[in-house]
Amino acid sequence: MGAIVTNQASDAGDQVAGSQSDELLMLEFQRGSREAFDELFARYRQPLYGFFRRRLSTPDRAQDLAQETFLAVIRATERYQPRALVRTYFYGIALKLLASERRKRTTSPLAAEPRITTEPDEALWLQQALARLEEREREILMLREYEHLSYDEIATLLHLPVNTVRSRLFRARVALKNQLEPVPNPREA
Amino acid sequence: MSTKHFIEAEELMAYLDGELPAERTSATAAHVEQCPDCQRLATEFHGVAQRLATWEIEPGSVKMTPAMTAGLDKKPRRLHVPLWAWAAAATVLVVMAIAPQFKQQPPTDKLTSYLQFSAEQSSAPRQASQPVHEAFNASRAAAPRATRLVGAVKPMIARSAHLTLQAKDVDKVRNGIDEVLKRHNGYLGELNSSAPPGEARSFDATLRFPSDQFEAAFAELKKLGRVEAESQSGEEVTQQYVDLDARLTNARNSEHRLTDILRERTGRLADVLSVETEIERVRGEIESMDAEKKALTTRIDFANVTVKVVEDYKAQLHLAPDSVSTRFRNAAVEGYRSMIEELVGALTLALSWGPSLLLWCAVLFFPARLIWKKWLRFHA
Repeated sequence: MGAIVTNQASDAGDQVAGSQSDELLMLEFQRGSREAFDELFARYRQPLYGFFRRRLSTPDRAQDLAQETFLAVIRATERYQPRALVRTYFYGIALKLLASERRKRTTSPLAAEPRITTEPDEALWLQQALARLEEREREILMLREYEHLSYDEIATLLHLPVNTVRSRLFRARVALKNQLEPVPNPREA
Repeated sequence: MSTKHFIEAEELMAYLDGELPAERTSATAAHVEQCPDCQRLATEFHGVAQRLATWEIEPGSVKMTPAMTAGLDKKPRRLHVPLWAWAAAATVLVVMAIAPQFKQQPPTDKLTSYLQFSAEQSSAPRQASQPVHEAFNASRAAAPRATRLVGAVKPMIARSAHLTLQAKDVDKVRNGIDEVLKRHNGYLGELNSSAPPGEARSFDATLRFPSDQFEAAFAELKKLGRVEAESQSGEEVTQQYVDLDARLTNARNSEHRLTDILRERTGRLADVLSVETEIERVRGEIESMDAEKKALTTRIDFANVTVKVVEDYKAQLHLAPDSVSTRFRNAAVEGYRSMIEELVGALTLALSWGPSLLLWCAVLFFPARLIWKKWLRFHA
């Protein structure tokens, strides 16, 4: 018996704002739709906050920079062109703001106190292991694992070839794996 | 891991991330299933990802700031309303404002005044209790039809294309299509696949790409298989869009005017109810036109590509023969069918030729009998 499979995604033109793609919402916002911006704001405020929170020391500053990201999007609407995903665009602005923030302050690369969901030592250990990675490799790893960007998107954001992103991501994961492995106790050996 | 391993560790990582090129995915997947080294490494990568995921961030309280709100309010709202539409609306308002009959009316019943004014604006005879919607339609009919200065607006094209491909493996083409969609910010609208027994597998897909990515994406899709047929078309919808925009603007203006009338509520109850009915009708029109405009915008912003992919047919070798009893049964059924067919055929033949044969036998019987008797007498 032959198999007939039908898979139909909803037409974007028939969807309500809550399920439209980011790209369509951005185009509508560019045409003046306030509702489209509100939807984008709702979708990205927590991810952008998480982005800054993992890289800065205080939640207040992370909140400020997330808001500044949205403000920059509003100001740059006229110049926006849909060359890349909206997600990439937002994180591109966020990276620039982060770089500017780091130039102004001498903050440690990772200073967020992690939320305690497991043992506190585990979370602190993870943070310290990440801090020991090379800066570029750490940024690529975090963009992949926390912001869930693709290799292409990371390459676009960091102005790197895709193969470079791939090899640095691999080195970061291997280095982190080695950092997280417990050092055998000489007494137990 | 051995340096002579089939795939590099980096490649394995890219495969686990879903970032491996389509042409390597199947081979890598098949290898990983068999290779304990790769499975171990995959488990390690997975473990690292799980450890990273334990770092959760508390929910933030990012809110809209006054600066953001000010930026949104200050931002000019681009309504795409051509100048001639504003001129037409201004003309109607000026005519309404300076009409002598309108000025001479006592200011006690604005609703009735509006009805009378609207009726006078149209060519229809004035009726004191003319329903609002009739007066309104009359006033709209009297308003100058907006001319279409399509040349002043950038051309809007709704692009579509069709592609038929022949390929050795539809799964690879499917993966290739996913890659093209990802690279060019497109999305899958619909997918229907079929694999009937004894025939080649195939699928039909409807893809949508941003208009500026269409050419590049289409070129990449053509490389996924052997092109059997392709076609492209572009429908200019500028006039349709401009017209729709103008109608939407007029409808919104009408809604505002009716809302103002309703707010004042100085007319009779019947007239007020008429205005409410008219408002509802106009709002329905606005919603319908809004939806039509959004659909049109999507057609302009996203090119529609339908792709049909057919796999080269590979005949299946059935190694397991049918059982003897099944073969006997099939032969018996076939034999019975043949017998019935032949009986029916013979009967049909008899029925179709029988009457004619009987007739000629009857006609020729006596001459034949005479000839036979003479022959017997001659030889006796």
